[in-house]
Amino acid sequence: MSRIDVHQHFWPQDFVELLARRARPPLLLRDGDGWCVRLDGEPDAPLPPAAHHPVLRAEALAHDRVDVALLCMSSPLGVEALPAEEARPLLDSWHDGVRALDGRFGHWGAVALDGAVPADVDAVLDAGALGLSLPAGALSSPGRLERAGPLLEALERRDAPLLVHPGPGLEDRLPGAAPALGLPQWWPALAAYPAQLQAAWLAFAATGRRGHRRLRVVFAALAGCAPLHAERMAARGGPARAVGDPLTFYDTSSYGPRAVDAMVRVSGVDVLVHGSDRPVSGAPADHGLGRAAGAALFRVNPARLLGGVTVRPERRLEAVA
Amino acid sequence: MIPPDARRDLTATELEDYVGRLAARPELWAGRVSHDPAARVFEELVRDEHLAVWLICWMEDHDTGFHDHDLSQGAVAVVHGAVHEDRLRFDGSRRRRTLRRGETFSFAAADIHRVLHAGEGPAVTLHAYSPPLWRMGAYEVRRDGTLARHSLSYAEELRPLEAA
Repeated sequence: MSRIDVHQHFWPQDFVELLARRARPPLLLRDGDGWCVRLDGEPDAPLPPAAHHPVLRAEALAHDRVDVALLCMSSPLGVEALPAEEARPLLDSWHDGVRALDGRFGHWGAVALDGAVPADVDAVLDAGALGLSLPAGALSSPGRLERAGPLLEALERRDAPLLVHPGPGLEDRLPGAAPALGLPQWWPALAAYPAQLQAAWLAFAATGRRGHRRLRVVFAALAGCAPLHAERMAARGGPARAVGDPLTFYDTSSYGPRAVDAMVRVSGVDVLVHGSDRPVSGAPADHGLGRAAGAALFRVNPARLLGGVTVRPERRLEAVA
Repeated sequence: MIPPDARRDLTATELEDYVGRLAARPELWAGRVSHDPAARVFEELVRDEHLAVWLICWMEDHDTGFHDHDLSQGAVAVVHGAVHEDRLRFDGSRRRRTLRRGETFSFAAADIHRVLHAGEGPAVTLHAYSPPLWRMGAYEVRRDGTLARHSLSYAEELRPLEAA
């Protein structure tokens, strides 16, 4: 059974050049040997020149002791939320580039949200994607989730999983917003992304699972630790049992042993999967929970997420009364 | 009777009652029984905010070693074969009891015990923990008689810790 990293990013050269040609965010500006990323509402961020070098990234797999890494669109760029005529050439270029990498890299497909239809999901899956990634902003309320419903139904029909990644939905676009000045680089990753993921997780708990009973979904970055709010959720009358959903997974990106262990306490170890978020952050060799938990996070749980291997067909017994 | 949707953690007595009633419903778990000579086989049957239930299948020489359950109380029902439960005493002696099919026992979070396969032929036990097991302590009795506690995630399979 392979060691799998379910969450990495890679920007192919052609995709980088398309971003560099744009006049409006998301765009890239030359910055010495590398690039600077400019997004609406975020501080400008440097992009180190080696971050998306295909040879170096392949070498990093061995360093991380990972056999397979799944690449996904960097949804905070907001590419999926652009008008379709702007989004599609960028997404096509990205898919072409990641498909050209060697077989140790798989990928999550991405679609233009503007006018998206189930056939778009079928198209990325037919072209080799293992599942679909959506920006959390496309799912961050019951209403948004309902609008994305046909895409989720297409995934269910194909028995393919969903990755929920931080990033804006159509309603979140801030065209013309000035770059955020005076904010530290890490600000969006702490002040915005966890909140987006929490809202998407809450929406999925509120109405998503009811409408998509077989969908396997993985939230990046422990869903912003949303399940740790289960007691508060119960106290306010929310569906706290969502923390025990065996088909809702969480990747570990950027979190360490204390947060991962806190999630183990609430959700159990069986729904946690290793996701590194490379090259945004480095990859831990393990999560400090011991060998059995390591095997669960790197091998057993990703296989269940991706392949639908049903290890525990009935997690909840009928009540013993 | 245990409310199936208890909105609180269960007591050791309630857990023992629960596993006893679950033992009487083999249609709910018998299909999950399988044995492996190399190691105990674990099957999680139930997990929610307040309760985790496992089916554990034992063969000869399978032994948890001495351990505690950190914050969780628990109960065990033996549904096939037999197991020993040993309690660790400060003077190094062990208090042993043997539990056979149809018998149940419970333990507090603070109790230190060891469960091992007994008798001939495979054994099957049902285990309930509340709140769901999170961390455990595994105890090592060193050659000089001192005791060491190793903190483990519940995901780690308990094994006897050899004397250094």
